[in-house]
Amino acid sequence: MRYIILLLLNIPIISIALLNVITRYKTSKISKRRFKIQMILWAIVLVVLIFSFPAYNYLTGHSPLDSQELSLFDIFQTTAIIFLIFVVNNMRQKAEWTEKTIRDLHQEISIKLSK
Amino acid sequence: MSKAKKVCVVIPAYNEGSVINNVVTDIIKELEATSLLYEVVVINDGSKDDTAFQARRGGAQVIDHILNFGAGGATATGLSYANQNGFDFAVTMDADGQHLPKDVMTGIKKAQNSNVDLLIGSRLIDTAGMSKVKVLGNKGLSNITKLLFGVNVTDSQSGLRIYSRNALESLRWKTSGYEFCSEMLWRAKQLKLDISEYPIKAIYTDYSKTKGQNNWNAINIVKSLVKRRIVEIFE
Repeated sequence: MRYIILLLLNIPIISIALLNVITRYKTSKISKRRFKIQMILWAIVLVVLIFSFPAYNYLTGHSPLDSQELSLFDIFQTTAIIFLIFVVNNMRQKAEWTEKTIRDLHQEISIKLSK
Repeated sequence: MSKAKKVCVVIPAYNEGSVINNVVTDIIKELEATSLLYEVVVINDGSKDDTAFQARRGGAQVIDHILNFGAGGATATGLSYANQNGFDFAVTMDADGQHLPKDVMTGIKKAQNSNVDLLIGSRLIDTAGMSKVKVLGNKGLSNITKLLFGVNVTDSQSGLRIYSRNALESLRWKTSGYEFCSEMLWRAKQLKLDISEYPIKAIYTDYSKTKGQNNWNAINIVKSLVKRRIVEIFE
């Protein structure tokens, strides 16, 4: 049940992230290379999440990585981490875009004013 | 009869009021002796002193940056100006008088007689006159550039560079500080531009020693390059 909660909490975040990436690519806001890398990044997060259940099952009782069962705290912590990856990734892209815009604007204004 | 080539000499400058006039007049004197059509453009990168006035007095066209954007930003503005105005070649050189005008002319001639897109004036082919600390710092940065970006040049930080029309149209970079020197080489490699080097002599006066990059700046450059390399994995 706990793994279902983990998936239910995180799949919407990953779905929104994937949808964002596809939308940005389809509206020509990102290159094909960036699109592929972003898709791979979120696909890895999704795969890790899905395989956390069999991985935990395997590790329980197996040293040296013996783990206790997934707690409610673990679920919220994992969700928070994935949400933070989503936010940081978006913020970084926005910051880079803003930086580029300001630099280009400054450059063009400087050239135009010199004429 | 072949048409005279248009060359734009770009000099990014920040608080270089005491030397910029001489740098501009010296390079104009050399260019006057050729058949080239030329323009010397000083990018005044938000200087607090009279850099713009002294550069104009020397005969340069001045582009004033409202804000201080760093050497990379100023160089980008200069090359964008050269691109927009249809120059065949552009040359970037330091504003502190470190480069000899005759080395600039040698580079222009070499670029004219070859298909090189980015020609770098290397101070490290012949290191005579350069302090051991500077040699060490510059060689270190060149090795790091090779390690991070796979570009094998002897002097990755040289400010004296000659750009073909092709490079002017295509070459762009993201960093705005001194680290742009290495990033530019990386972008040139990604664009499959032809990169080459030729030996130049660097003149280190007491003034230029205080203005240039020191080995502590090199640490910041390395940090920024590593960050750029990592960020690029996710782009």
